[in-house]
Amino acid sequence: MQQEFSKAEKFWMNFKLYQLWRFIVLNFRIYMVAIQSKRK
Amino acid sequence: MAKVVIIGAGFAGHTVALYLGSQLGRKHEITVISNRDVFSYLPSWVWVGVGHMQPEKTVFKLKPVYDRKNVKFVHAAVKEIHPDAGDQYLLGDEVGSGKEARLDYDYLVIAPGPLLNFAGTPGLGPEGGFTNSICSLPHTVKTRDAYLALCERMKKGEKVKIVIGTGHPGATCQGAAFEYIINVHKDLEKKGLRDKADILWLSNEPVMGDLGVNGIQIKRNGHMLRSEEFIKSVFNDHGIRYQIQTGVTKVEEGKIHWQNYEGEEGATEFDFAMLIPQFKGQPFKFIGKDGSDVASKVVNPMGFVLVDGKYGLPYPELSQTPEAWPAKYQNPNYANIFAAGIAFAPPGPISKPFTNKNNLAIVPAPPRTGMISGAIGRVVAMNLIDLIEKGKMTHSERMTEMVAACVASMGDSLWDGSAVTLLMYPVVPDRKKYDNEYGRDLFTSHLEMGLGGAWTKYMLHHAFMWKFKAKPGWTLIPE
Repeated sequence: MQQEFSKAEKFWMNFKLYQLWRFIVLNFRIYMVAIQSKRK
Repeated sequence: MAKVVIIGAGFAGHTVALYLGSQLGRKHEITVISNRDVFSYLPSWVWVGVGHMQPEKTVFKLKPVYDRKNVKFVHAAVKEIHPDAGDQYLLGDEVGSGKEARLDYDYLVIAPGPLLNFAGTPGLGPEGGFTNSICSLPHTVKTRDAYLALCERMKKGEKVKIVIGTGHPGATCQGAAFEYIINVHKDLEKKGLRDKADILWLSNEPVMGDLGVNGIQIKRNGHMLRSEEFIKSVFNDHGIRYQIQTGVTKVEEGKIHWQNYEGEEGATEFDFAMLIPQFKGQPFKFIGKDGSDVASKVVNPMGFVLVDGKYGLPYPELSQTPEAWPAKYQNPNYANIFAAGIAFAPPGPISKPFTNKNNLAIVPAPPRTGMISGAIGRVVAMNLIDLIEKGKMTHSERMTEMVAACVASMGDSLWDGSAVTLLMYPVVPDRKKYDNEYGRDLFTSHLEMGLGGAWTKYMLHHAFMWKFKAKPGWTLIPE
């Protein structure tokens, strides 16, 4: 069972280019599920 | 012409008001009555509480928005509701003048937010107690001042004990407390004071990362990742100690008394504590035509409004019955009364309840975050539009069908801050629809931490302030 973040995980959490990609992907994902909910 | 009165102007009430004002405001009378004349964006108060955001950046005046949207605004505290057919009205005391205000209604939406029940835990809270709170803006400002004073003591070399979590065995909103504890940690780190503070997470959760929603579980790269391990990793990584399965029973100056699952009683010392109180419904009087008390037809003993849920099911049955959760948020005894946001009575807890050998029930109450409150507000508004225009409701959304995204700040810096992005679908597990032990869609549900989350949290603050000010395109931003 994971109890601490690895060095690699910490690197990706702060790597700005990768985080920009995650920012775009996650916001798109949140927007899509929220829009689906709104259509009900 | 229909008269709709909305009590409260938080995430739920304000959402109802904006939709009704936009679609019905010209032909019908839409009125909001609230004891506060501002809208407050609560999710950013974790930043106010550490002095990183000015309080006024989280609020705006309601009246100019309502004037544009054909919504009347009455700045008054509601005291009585008369729900019997024939003469339906509510009474309130106007803030400032103290003059009595009477509002007649055809439809009533109760969405006033919670009563912060500090009295439920002796010694809890900033007014007459010994702990702090981030549950109202004045409390948050007081918390910020106490925290900054603590930092001054630490700068002089003093070592301090900080306790953050829940202040009642039945409290909710663990997510807000989690955000605050991490923001305190990050702020102390930046100030070079982290080594002067012993920080403890004290919570009523059955397992770490439960957050009042039975935890969050996702499938990533073929492996299960649960919020339990994730949050433990965060705390271990940040040097934050934790104590869960604990119900706070009393607070004295510098000392928090508690009981745990084993029934053990203990005390934890503190120099600074921020503990979330129990939430209750607002103490309105419900008076029948003959002057009798009809509260039991509208609210449960905790003051939450009874709606179209199935109440009284034992937890094992409730956890297997998604249809027990309300769909339309309509009172079964008074069909023209609806409740939205924290005001509606949930049919039971989402987290597994536990009663210790001293008969103390330790169980987080179901949280109703801004997104959930907004979604419920939208359902109520759409149904009211249906009822008024077509005479029939066509919208419904149970919490067992609802998605919730939560971005938990872990430092507000856009350069080296962070946040956990949580996506839960559905909010309340549906074990009939999803064939796994968690009752959730493990693909849609998501859990991720990183700098991008801090950008999202910042963006959401501005996007939602825009939306709630009803600026152009506000309907394009989903609740």
